[in-house]
Amino acid sequence: MAGKTSLEEAVEKLKAGIGAENVLEVKYQPPRNVFVLVKTEKLKDAVSYIMKNLNYQYVITITGVDLIKQNQMEVIYHLTDYSNTISLRVRIPRDNPKVPTITDIIPGATLYEREVHDMFGIVFEGHPNLVKLLLPDGWPEDLHPLRKDVTVQQIRERLEEERKKGVRGI
Amino acid sequence: MALGLVKWARIKSPWILHFNTGACNACDIEVLAALTPRFDVERFGILLKGSPRHADVMVVTGSVTRQIRDRLVRVYEQMPEPKFVLAVGNCAATGGVFQQCYNVYEGIDKVIPVDVYVPGCPPRPEAIIYGVVKLLEKLAKS
Amino acid sequence: MSGEYEPESIFEIPVGPQHPALKEPILLHFKIEGDIIVDVIPRPAYTHRGIEKATEARNYIQNIYLCERVCGICSFIHTLVYTQGVERLAEVEPPPRAKYIRVIVSELERIHSHALWLGVAAHELGFDTLFYYIWRDRELVMDLLELITGNRVNYAMSTVGGVRRDITDEVAHQIKKGMKIFRERLDVYTEVVEQEPTLRKRVVDVGKLSPHDAVALCAVGPTLRATGVKRDVRADDPYQAYDEIPFNVATYHTGDVLAQIVVRVLEMYEAANIIDYALDHMPGGPIRVKVPWNIAPNEVISRGEAPRGELFYYFKSNGTEKPERVKIRTPTLANIPAVRQMLLGYHIAEIPIVFASIDPCLSCTARFSFIDVKTGKSWVWDREQLRRYSLKWYGKQ
Ligand code: SF4
Repeated sequence: MAGKTSLEEAVEKLKAGIGAENVLEVKYQPPRNVFVLVKTEKLKDAVSYIMKNLNYQYVITITGVDLIKQNQMEVIYHLTDYSNTISLRVRIPRDNPKVPTITDIIPGATLYEREVHDMFGIVFEGHPNLVKLLLPDGWPEDLHPLRKDVTVQQIRERLEEERKKGVRGI
Repeated sequence: MALGLVKWARIKSPWILHFNTGACNACDIEVLAALTPRFDVERFGILLKGSPRHADVMVVTGSVTRQIRDRLVRVYEQMPEPKFVLAVGNCAATGGVFQQCYNVYEGIDKVIPVDVYVPGCPPRPEAIIYGVVKLLEKLAKS
Repeated sequence: MSGEYEPESIFEIPVGPQHPALKEPILLHFKIEGDIIVDVIPRPAYTHRGIEKATEARNYIQNIYLCERVCGICSFIHTLVYTQGVERLAEVEPPPRAKYIRVIVSELERIHSHALWLGVAAHELGFDTLFYYIWRDRELVMDLLELITGNRVNYAMSTVGGVRRDITDEVAHQIKKGMKIFRERLDVYTEVVEQEPTLRKRVVDVGKLSPHDAVALCAVGPTLRATGVKRDVRADDPYQAYDEIPFNVATYHTGDVLAQIVVRVLEMYEAANIIDYALDHMPGGPIRVKVPWNIAPNEVISRGEAPRGELFYYFKSNGTEKPERVKIRTPTLANIPAVRQMLLGYHIAEIPIVFASIDPCLSCTARFSFIDVKTGKSWVWDREQLRRYSLKWYGKQ
């Protein structure tokens, strides 16, 4: 399979580019996808290396995952050259979730960072305008619906409470 | 006498307003399909209007999301009396598949009164037309 | 004159009435100077229902029906990409016949969606005759879809491990007949797009996007292809049976609204060809395999080309019957930065068609608020008022 070998090559180059010790885990997934875990401080280097030197053009989206058992959060950047996809990920502590923004490298990532911020409360440092995207205006700032420790019931009760307090739009 | 005339006119040509409160679009395209040549509800005098102030019947599709709730109530209040509400789709009736989603109300009758429910996910255009006819019967009796 | 712009400070009047044609609600704040748009701030929050959270509480089979209803127009591609992802999670391969059936249904869906869009675009331009013609012909495709799947819109066709209904020879024959008629109708529309001066006046050189911007802003689907960039998940990262079916990726070079129309018309032709080819080359055999109820911990991504562009799912399983995390990225979200770029520098009158040109899946309650940066006056319009204004404005020209 031609696709796979070029993906393996890409990972080799990435390792050489940002230093093999900063790549913590590599997992291939059929048909043309690889998950690569890198150190958080090397995230921006990795993204710009992939975009500039490997000629990947496009970030499909950014996924947040709440790893509540490890007390961590995961941010996954799905980067693609349209055919192969590198899912670059970082793990960050759950009680202080912060990653640098990549919007200066890829302007198209703006909305995705805002979405992850809405849903998980992960802060993208340096983002030009990190305001709510999907959640309504009156939504409480500290309520992040996709975190594993809030249930649908709790969200609803909380929103009802806010509504009673006079907050509109929720 | 004049009232009788108004009522007669209303039954002959009810004007409807279509409101999407957070539907998945399937119901909306079926409502729209009911207006286009194949089904053509306009032959019954049913006209789609752009403003609540002109409408007799509000056709609501979709589960009510929390953001849209206040807007729905306001639009409903802007309609002149007597007003009628047709809830199209399972979402509008009960929340449908979106029950248990944190951001929806389970059915629009939690927010505004509903006269006729059209079940289905999405209901066929024929079913929507049937719902409108039922509503007209209700109107005639009112 | 520019000052820090506060969305909260806008004077808003609730204009409930919805545009009958476009769907989900979005609020766009426009900054205008005179008649020219200088900035757009989208706020696509109104149909947020919390689906991703709900997927975590349901099992893999129940989630098919939930994901199908993320969007009712591209419902099949949602189930396709969803089930493809779950199959990858469980490491099972659907039978070849199922793959072909999926291709056929998703191409039929592409035709119905593009036809719907073309009608809507015609309506936005005040060309209602075309709108009604197209919607009439679209019913032909709806009938075929109903024949195959048993329902007009949400088909519940694709399931984990295959598809739920087979395409028999009689049905195949009907589909071919339908495609023949539809091609003839398409020829008529091509002629309209090529020759009708009233249409061309409104769409040529409006809403221009350069290929460079389109790529930088991560645009997808026909919006990207209309700038001449040849990218299509079906060709680049083939899924299901697309690697066995020859087809062209339609592109057009001008990057304006006309290009978007042309690309979509070409794609409809292409889809009809794909359907014919797939029907002729469909292998026999079963249409479904069994998939275990509980799925071992794993994570995968799944991509597919929806009518509006790339649809993306990310899955993480945890060994139970319910997913740990499902992430959905729909094409419209990806195209919002691009549409913003497309609107800058154009007149208010062009908003409806430019905005409609990306085929937004979120528009019905769309209210447009305007701020005149010179006078500081602000007002809110709904789509219908905007459309009327736009028609009037062009009437004066
Ligand atoms: S009832 Fe079904 S088709 Fe209609 S909006 Fe709800 S989910 Fe969509």
